[in-house]
Amino acid sequence: MVTYIIRRLIGAVAMLIVISMVTFGIFFVVPQWAGATPEALASRYVGRAATPETVALIAERLGFNDPVVVQYGRFVKGLVAGAEYDYGAGVEQCPAPCFGYSFISGQPVWPDLVDRMPVTFSLAIGAAILWVLAGISVGVLSALRRGSFFDRLSMGTALAGVSLPIFFTGMISLVVFSYGLGWTPPGGAWTDFTVNPAQWAYNLLLPWITLAFLFAATYARLTRAGMLETMGEDYIRTARAKGLRENQVVVRHGLRAALTPLLTLFGIDFGLLIGGAVLTETTYTLPGLGQFAILAIRNQDLPQVMGVVLVAAGFVVVASLVVDLLYAVVDPRVRLS
Amino acid sequence: MANTALTQTYNPSTKKGGTLKAAHSADWDSLDPADTYYGYSFNFGRYYWRTLTTYKTGAGPDGNTVVPDLAEGLGQPSPDGKTWTYKIKSGLKFEDGSPITAKDVAYAVARSFDKETFPHGPSYLNELLDWPKDFKGVYKTPDVDYKSAVEATDDTTVVFHLKKPFASMDYVVQMPMTAPVPKDKDTGAKYKEKVVSSGPYKFETNEIGKRFTLVRNDQWDPATDPNRPALPDRIEVQLNVNADDLDNQLISGSIQLDIPGTGMQPAALGKVLPDPALKARTDNPTIPRLWYVSVIPENKPLDNIACRKAVMWAADRVANQTAFGGPVAGGEIATNVMPPPIVGQEKFDLYATPENKGDVEKAKQALAECGQPNGFATTMTFRSDRPREKALAEAMQQALARVGIKLTLKGFPSAAYFSDYAGNVNYVKENGIGLATHGWGSDWPDGYGFMQAIVDSRTIRDAGNYNLSVKNPEVDKLIDQASAELDATARAKLWVEVDKKVMEDASILPVVWAKSLLMRGKGVTNLAYNEGQSMYDYVLLGVE
Amino acid sequence: MTAPLDVSGSAAEAHPESVLVGAGKAIQGRSLTRIAWMRLRRDKIALGGGVVVVLLILVAVFSSPIISLFGHPPLEFHQDQIDQNTLLPKGTFGGMGAEHLLGVEPVNGRDVFSRIVAGAWISLLIGFLATIVSVIIGTVMGVVAGYFGGWVDQIIGRIMDVFLAFPLLVFAIALVGVMPNEGFGLEGDGLRIAMLIFIIGFFSWPSIGRIVRGQTLSLREREFVDAARSLGARHGYILFREVLPNLMAPILVYATLLIPTNILFEAALSFLGVGINPPTPTWGGMLSEAVRFYTLPHFVLFPGLAIFITVLAFNLFGDGLRDAFDPRAH
Repeated sequence: MVTYIIRRLIGAVAMLIVISMVTFGIFFVVPQWAGATPEALASRYVGRAATPETVALIAERLGFNDPVVVQYGRFVKGLVAGAEYDYGAGVEQCPAPCFGYSFISGQPVWPDLVDRMPVTFSLAIGAAILWVLAGISVGVLSALRRGSFFDRLSMGTALAGVSLPIFFTGMISLVVFSYGLGWTPPGGAWTDFTVNPAQWAYNLLLPWITLAFLFAATYARLTRAGMLETMGEDYIRTARAKGLRENQVVVRHGLRAALTPLLTLFGIDFGLLIGGAVLTETTYTLPGLGQFAILAIRNQDLPQVMGVVLVAAGFVVVASLVVDLLYAVVDPRVRLS
Repeated sequence: MANTALTQTYNPSTKKGGTLKAAHSADWDSLDPADTYYGYSFNFGRYYWRTLTTYKTGAGPDGNTVVPDLAEGLGQPSPDGKTWTYKIKSGLKFEDGSPITAKDVAYAVARSFDKETFPHGPSYLNELLDWPKDFKGVYKTPDVDYKSAVEATDDTTVVFHLKKPFASMDYVVQMPMTAPVPKDKDTGAKYKEKVVSSGPYKFETNEIGKRFTLVRNDQWDPATDPNRPALPDRIEVQLNVNADDLDNQLISGSIQLDIPGTGMQPAALGKVLPDPALKARTDNPTIPRLWYVSVIPENKPLDNIACRKAVMWAADRVANQTAFGGPVAGGEIATNVMPPPIVGQEKFDLYATPENKGDVEKAKQALAECGQPNGFATTMTFRSDRPREKALAEAMQQALARVGIKLTLKGFPSAAYFSDYAGNVNYVKENGIGLATHGWGSDWPDGYGFMQAIVDSRTIRDAGNYNLSVKNPEVDKLIDQASAELDATARAKLWVEVDKKVMEDASILPVVWAKSLLMRGKGVTNLAYNEGQSMYDYVLLGVE
Repeated sequence: MTAPLDVSGSAAEAHPESVLVGAGKAIQGRSLTRIAWMRLRRDKIALGGGVVVVLLILVAVFSSPIISLFGHPPLEFHQDQIDQNTLLPKGTFGGMGAEHLLGVEPVNGRDVFSRIVAGAWISLLIGFLATIVSVIIGTVMGVVAGYFGGWVDQIIGRIMDVFLAFPLLVFAIALVGVMPNEGFGLEGDGLRIAMLIFIIGFFSWPSIGRIVRGQTLSLREREFVDAARSLGARHGYILFREVLPNLMAPILVYATLLIPTNILFEAALSFLGVGINPPTPTWGGMLSEAVRFYTLPHFVLFPGLAIFITVLAFNLFGDGLRDAFDPRAH
């Protein structure tokens, strides 16, 4: 068990290294193909009408004059051992993991990321609860009443659900419920849970529902398929023959087996979402990691981009590790080795 | 009534108290006076800083003139125009009660020199003043004496030493580089988190990127400050608010001030303009900003002036204006470079066409003269995250197609537009860029303040250019003449000559002299549009 | 199964390897296809989806004649239809009427109908070709991993993990944003489309790869492969003559289901402003314009519905196709 976790963690670190190298490379190598000099890169990060001297200073300060490999090395060193930041009047310690300082605002990246995590996490957790509850219950009912009107209707809705882009449903829901009827708050509304839980939930209601609608569809369809498959298995027949009541059969034997494969999917979906729900946050202008990512890219702010990409990838890795460990709990046949 | 605040103070009041609620759809570049370069920031910053001079507050043409703020009077130039002396008032105090002296002003100017620490701020003083060779800023070379550039000869006298004569010094020192900073409280790049106030308000809280609150600074003495009535007790600022939501809140009254002051979003325009009650709450000034298309003479066939003229004649000015927001939210059709609010501006039109819709015949003649009778193909760049620039590029493509000029459109992110693409000489050459959307606003309302950065060919370097297309030695010569001219009227005339020369050169296609549709917040008192700020005059505002 | 696209749209493919295993167990390839076709013909909903797909393809292919039939090229301005001050269409319902079936766009008055028709071409082209790219990469990687197993499988498995953990949308935006505008003998829209096809295809191959790998693993142990191997057949022969033909059915099914995902991916990129350069119309691009003019129902609804109908049709058809090939579902 412990060795398994260690091995997985080593694999995860290797993966994050690859991801960070690719991201870093794209930001430097691609502009260099286009013939960008260190000064050209630096002139992105100065005010308007900056002098050539200013640009040269900034190029030096941001380290653009060094080879890309050296710059990457410095980034990794900051992550592992921390870094120092010269803010003019003195030097500040940026403890590990130091993702560096924004090229534009000069603010440290890590606190900014931490600051935005609750938003994305709140969005993901609320939507996840909704979609798991709705998806599984609809899926089970559909499977039990296979071929019924309910089955057809819910499966039709589910298929429609996965076919709707969230930036479309999001916009429509805002126009109708926020700007039109005034039932829900406008885009951009966010209150921290610790400040006011009721307001927190009220502000996130619309994003939760639209996001959950999208995912619930998939889960309903998979639950239904899984249930249909397991309900045809021999052991279910045995359970029925034993004289167990039907809902016991369904819940204790059928559902358990049907849901196990959903766990993997849930792990990845949830991991990806807490790493930044880019489209949802853009549509509802929520100040989470996804919006942060888009802004960082628009501003070509490399330390911020690196930070958000690595954090997002990290969440996926952790989520899938947790899922694999859970398997061992849920399904006694699974051994971790 | 619409446009009331353009000529007079709307709802005048001297009543103190209340909370002014303001919002910003994005974020400041920095709250540090040395590190900021946005018009709204200069305007709003006067709540918590004072500079040597400032624009005269209030509505009307006087708003373009500068008056003393920290200083007792305007600057005293030496006869050769190379030394400027400012006497500052006595009895001035920082928020902690310590006195503001000339030393604090000189120190603030010296610290703003360090562009590695303060990359965003204007660099006028870096270039104008006679800095010692070995001076690298107050942090890196703390022992180097910078008195050859700026010095406090006593507690109330600040002296600037310039490399060459410069007439507009009073305009430069209204910028926040001269806002005093106490040396012992200076924390370099982190100073923006805790700025020490010299104005009527100080920071109560400051959460960078989210919100901040200003409260009264009891050390500020109104007797020293005729410019700021300081009416509200508190000023609350929300940052990164959804732009559409911001407009809706402004309309409904839950906020009273839109800080960037550049006008409303399209969705709100559709609501406000047809509604007489809402429209009555708006002001629609022309601001000193030109939106334009650079016609770049770098690549064939646009290196030929006749081909550039063909572009001038072929453009559909009405379509361009609509693309940029129409006559209300966009601006007035521009016929030359300098916008009307610039002092001494003259309006002229070298490329007048029927109904401003372009003249296909004249364009074809010009094309024939250029040796491209069937037109040519070139590329036009725009900032992809700016919908109006995209619409402008599309309109240009349609209009120029009428005479056989085929445009390929390429959008780039704003953040890299001048560094990597349109303002990068190599990129422009290698990718055959012919046209580029561009916009420019003045730092102060005279010819130099508006034109120099975008038409002087000697400012052009490898990357990060703002002058994309004007490479004309005659223009450069006129700029030198204008800068050296000490008589204001003659100087203004020379800038008009520069403008004419650029238009003859056909390297700038003006689109609109920008207008913004501003909405007066509900319950706001003492509100006036200031021409120097080209926004509402924030320090005048009060609440009911 | 189409993945919910918020972050990347590649998550959902991880699961259903089991669904197709055993497809060739009892029935030979040919008769399987015939049986599947019989099943598909009975599935009215899937057929409905198929018909819509065919119609959409026809619209895309014949977009130019359709547009010229209605007389308003997608790039043509109609500024006489626009209120100069508000920039909104003058007519009611966004200027909808006999002249402009679905109304006109704000600001420039371009015909919404013809832009949607023209947008179909881009959407489907990218949807199809990107899928082909992912099918090729996914099949090669999946077959190699499944057939050779061992460390090869390990490495490819890790690569797939990396792709699954990638914040793909973020990454794609960064990549498209910095792409040059000329290269590979292409320029302008051509290059841009090629880039998008490659990027979308390159990011969505692991879903197909996993399925192919699973299938190959089970095929490898099958008697006829064993037989070929014991007769001394080379790897190449076994792969191309024995394994690949048996993979065709699942690949086809999952390719059909990947098309709508890729269409959504393209729409998302265009929505975020990193898709095809203007003025070429795309549905996602039209929706991103609509954000600024959210008060105009016609401008928001029609491009959104175009995406919805297309993706739904592909999903219905692909779903039916999978059911038809999967005996256990019946």
